[in-house]
Amino acid sequence: MTTTSPDLLERIIGVAPDSPLSNLRARRPDIVRHTQGSHDVLLCPADPGGLSLSERALIAAAVAEAAGHAALTRHYRQLLAERGDPPQGKRLDTIRQHVERVATAPRTALPAHIEALCAVGLSGRDIVALTQIVAYVSYQVRAAVGLALLAEGAAA
Amino acid sequence: MKAARFTLEAVDWAPWLEPVSAETATPAQRTALEASPQAGSAYFRTLAHDVESLAERSPLFHAVMYVPRGLKRAERELATVVTSIVNGCIYCSSVHARRFVELIKQPEIIRALYEEGLDTKLAPRLRAIVDYALKLTREPAAMTAADLAPLRAVGMDDLEIHDLTNAVAMFANANRLMQTLGEPALPDDATPRAAA
Repeated sequence: MTTTSPDLLERIIGVAPDSPLSNLRARRPDIVRHTQGSHDVLLCPADPGGLSLSERALIAAAVAEAAGHAALTRHYRQLLAERGDPPQGKRLDTIRQHVERVATAPRTALPAHIEALCAVGLSGRDIVALTQIVAYVSYQVRAAVGLALLAEGAAA
Repeated sequence: MKAARFTLEAVDWAPWLEPVSAETATPAQRTALEASPQAGSAYFRTLAHDVESLAERSPLFHAVMYVPRGLKRAERELATVVTSIVNGCIYCSSVHARRFVELIKQPEIIRALYEEGLDTKLAPRLRAIVDYALKLTREPAAMTAADLAPLRAVGMDDLEIHDLTNAVAMFANANRLMQTLGEPALPDDATPRAAA
């Protein structure tokens, strides 16, 4: 990733470089760096392994939508549109169901759900990557919401 | 045996995927594990299957929870306990409730949250933290600028609110990893239930 690539979270919130929020975030440089870095390795990995780039974008869009974040939902749907839909079928259905569960009711997960993902061809790495994407977008939504409120306050 | 309730006792974690073993870890996995809070734990060895995301997440987690200045460490810990209670994460709530108690020696605050619920009577600053963490965890889309007013009223500045937001957000993340790649276990029963 190049250092000139714009920070996704600030783009989503709609703050300019050198704005009060951007300067506030700059006091926590490791958070800024690894929030973007986590996005990059989960959504745009050089080697996606057995979880395709399309599937990754679809998962992220589903999590943003379930959390009700319009701007992030648009962002990830656009990414999915660029990459094309993954093939329909049992594999995608199983992935979708698990993503919904982890996003909205993580306490209901069971070992059988991991076995179901293995049964449709996901490896241990793919399952961890899927879970990390759901967990990351759940983080990203809440960070974006809280930071947007701070930006609103600074603008008022 | 699966741990079934929120506790101030130590809890173990049993993975549902066979973790990466220390013996077979690649150099990249080893590096990412060494940068994690507990390199040998089954949880981080499970996350090491996807080594690039672990290598980003560990420094992110560290920065959110431990970077100096801004929101006090104990208050970050409290926010993560609230988020973990809302999300039902017995393991995370145990770890971070114990950290909170180590820092400010008031286990009665945690016991009240566990036993009486999140609406238990609290000092105004803690009440404001609990309310913000609860709503941002449960209903992020319903948050408005009015939700910052109670934090401002107890004297929080922008950096503290920034840190509080990130602590809550980080546990939206941690609670999902922890509850869907394995389960909390009473100590001495941390064997995997399923291998893959």
